Amino acid sequence: MKIMIDGRDVDVEYGETILTAAKRAGIKIPTLCHNEAFEGQGRCRLCMVEVEKGSMKNTVASCTYPITGEIKVTTSTPLIEKTRKNIIMLLYKQAPGSQLIQDMYKEYGCVDNSLEENNADERCILCNLCVLACQEMGSSAISLIMRGTDKQVATPYNEAAEVCLGCGACAEICPTNAIKVIEKDGQRIIWNKVFNLVNCQRCGKPFATREQLEYIAAQGKDISTQNLCESCRRKSAAEKIQGFM
Amino acid sequence: MKMNSNEGRQILVCCGTGCQANGSLQVFDAIQEQIQSLGAVEVKTFAKSTGCNGWCEQGPLVKILPDDITYCQVKVDDVPAIIDKTIKNNEVIERLLYRDPASKKRVKSPHLELDFYQKQKKIALRNIGEIDPASIEDYIDRDGYKALEKAFSISAEQIITEVIKSGLRGRGGGGFPAGIKWQSCAEQSNAPRYIICNGDEGDPGAFMDRSIMEGDPHTVIEGMVICALATGASNGFIYVRDEYALALKNLNQALIDARKGSFLGENIMGQGFAFDIEVVRGGGAFVCGEETALIASVEGKIGEPRDKYVFPAEKGLWGQPTVINNVETWANIPVIINEGADKFASIGTENSKGTKVFSLVGKVVNTGLVEVPMGTTLRQIIFEIGGGILKGRQFKAVQTGGPSGGCIPAELLDLPVDFDTLKEVGSMMGSGGLIVMDERTCMVEVARYYLNFLAGESCGKCVPCREGIRRMQEILTRICEGKGQISDIELLEEIAETVKIAALCGLGKTAANPVLSTLRYFRDEYLAHIEEHRCPAGVCRDLTEFYIDKEKCTGCGICIKNCPVDAIHGEKKEAHTIDVEKCITCGSCIDTCRFDAVRIR
Repeated sequence: MKIMIDGRDVDVEYGETILTAAKRAGIKIPTLCHNEAFEGQGRCRLCMVEVEKGSMKNTVASCTYPITGEIKVTTSTPLIEKTRKNIIMLLYKQAPGSQLIQDMYKEYGCVDNSLEENNADERCILCNLCVLACQEMGSSAISLIMRGTDKQVATPYNEAAEVCLGCGACAEICPTNAIKVIEKDGQRIIWNKVFNLVNCQRCGKPFATREQLEYIAAQGKDISTQNLCESCRRKSAAEKIQGFM
Repeated sequence: MKMNSNEGRQILVCCGTGCQANGSLQVFDAIQEQIQSLGAVEVKTFAKSTGCNGWCEQGPLVKILPDDITYCQVKVDDVPAIIDKTIKNNEVIERLLYRDPASKKRVKSPHLELDFYQKQKKIALRNIGEIDPASIEDYIDRDGYKALEKAFSISAEQIITEVIKSGLRGRGGGGFPAGIKWQSCAEQSNAPRYIICNGDEGDPGAFMDRSIMEGDPHTVIEGMVICALATGASNGFIYVRDEYALALKNLNQALIDARKGSFLGENIMGQGFAFDIEVVRGGGAFVCGEETALIASVEGKIGEPRDKYVFPAEKGLWGQPTVINNVETWANIPVIINEGADKFASIGTENSKGTKVFSLVGKVVNTGLVEVPMGTTLRQIIFEIGGGILKGRQFKAVQTGGPSGGCIPAELLDLPVDFDTLKEVGSMMGSGGLIVMDERTCMVEVARYYLNFLAGESCGKCVPCREGIRRMQEILTRICEGKGQISDIELLEEIAETVKIAALCGLGKTAANPVLSTLRYFRDEYLAHIEEHRCPAGVCRDLTEFYIDKEKCTGCGICIKNCPVDAIHGEKKEAHTIDVEKCITCGSCIDTCRFDAVRIR
């Protein structure tokens, strides 16, 4: 089926979100809490667009709005731009330490106002992507806790979580670099837990935690290359293919 | 005064939470004990504990039938007199009767003689105060489960048509037509389907749902079973906040009795239809009253709402078709089925049918639960039923719709209340809270209070609600402290608009109402705080200075007695003075002065 986005006819699948359809058509909608690996969350509300359905006009979050019929979507109106600008302003006040948010603050032309700024090194915008990544890894070592402005991402009781593998998927996916990972002397410290790192058998660089490798082995996955870092694994695979040729 | 009948008497003791807090259980026990000592020969009397009467101001209430005597504020010490005089000798105890402040007369049967009861129309609350909620027989005596019997005799489509025709809209706040929800769920092809009763009442000062669950649990169950029959649902859940101990107790008992009576379970009324209900206890998060957050909570997930572009009727609990209605909505269902949609639809306004229960609280003479036809004006509710403003003060505003409702000013008192009119004036029906405010209320402080509440109760999922509420709260606090700037008003409006447009759920979308409605109707108060550093109501401490009007002060000394910091001085019968250095502007002098001599600078 087809819908109209910003005056263009776009092919869509029944039930997919406006954001997914727009992305495929090369139409950019800003997001902060979205990652293609996961379903839309509707947290940051930056992806709000205007939807016309018959005579009804609504402002909706494009990352969660499923397309189930003929609609006309406008991704940018003065009201939507103003809303996005205010959301960025609010996020800047909350997480002034994030480079990404600082850049967006400028990009959207936000101006200084009388509101107080949070701690200058605060970076977390509570997008929840780290929690989803951890869940996807099968650990669920972190979760959102508390509510309202007290909301934060934490391990249970803020202690080192038994189930945390130290894989760093949370830090990897974080759009604002808010998760602290310290790596030195063959150790990785993340979420208050210290991990010993395993060195790559080929290049000798530390690349993964022991817990991570044990977890992968326990999943019954191919472990023939598990002692290699990612770039060496790629090299080894390429060599194998060359060997066949 | 003598009475004629002394046979087959009933003594009803209100044991709602309000009356219980005032000792009604002890009164109930004392009555039971002392009746037994009488011996069954003399008088046939039995005591029943009933649910909330709504007239909590006067509790514990003891009602004696068929004489129709209501005693107010009854204490354990009053019980021997009640037994000796009223039960044995048919005498009315004048001092325990309610004294109508208007006529100064004692009132024997308040529900016949007083406006508080006379101007009400009870549908959802029809049984409350009349039956023992722990007795299914009492419920059945008052046509209980008759609607279910009738529902079995018509088709599922006919049930849904009746509910649609009745015009019943969801009483939890959204006002969505209940029948359309049912229809949409029934049209889904997948099973199982679920029914949920939303009993997570969280608005400060609101207790209509608690009262129904405590006082008439079977009506909720009957409503849900009828819906299950119409939609083909197999399981129901009643989500009750854990603080509602009595509601939980009475609901659980009612579920047991309903199963025993074959109104619930494997083979309901021998018709081969299976449906059962369980109670889920909520952890006390306000946002779990929002239906998608409630569903997440039942599923054992964090109580965060989701975008509702797909309604729960299509994808609800565990992704299955789910009908979710509020307690009061369920309580209306048996009446609609029993008496017909047309009769129900004849009450109310064009687009809001039936009645609405309000919890009338604040600076009003009669506080309590009131059920009135939709379209009753605010003036009728506050001044006729509510008896006007306490201490004869001036009415200033009424806040409707819970924390994210709006404040309605005096010029709109003649507004007929329904879902749509309230929305038009920048407030909302919500679940039916009505908080009356008098001249001693600062509207900026009121907005700050509600934003404080919402900041603590926002789930924090979406940015506009979490951050927007907190920033509006920050600005309002600053204004109340006298540190506001004139540009703050524009900033408030800007943030409010973004929160309204972009927030994810109903809580967030309406969170700006307290700010926007007070800015709309009481802007001058904001300006007085910002430009003149003055709180016109004398509430914001940093902006208030009290002084005594020497012309009016009689030197009675009552303010001196009440001042907690000894800031007032003066000889008896001479005008007093307030030491502003010592004064903490708590307002106890202005509240106690009978001569209007304490003034605000």
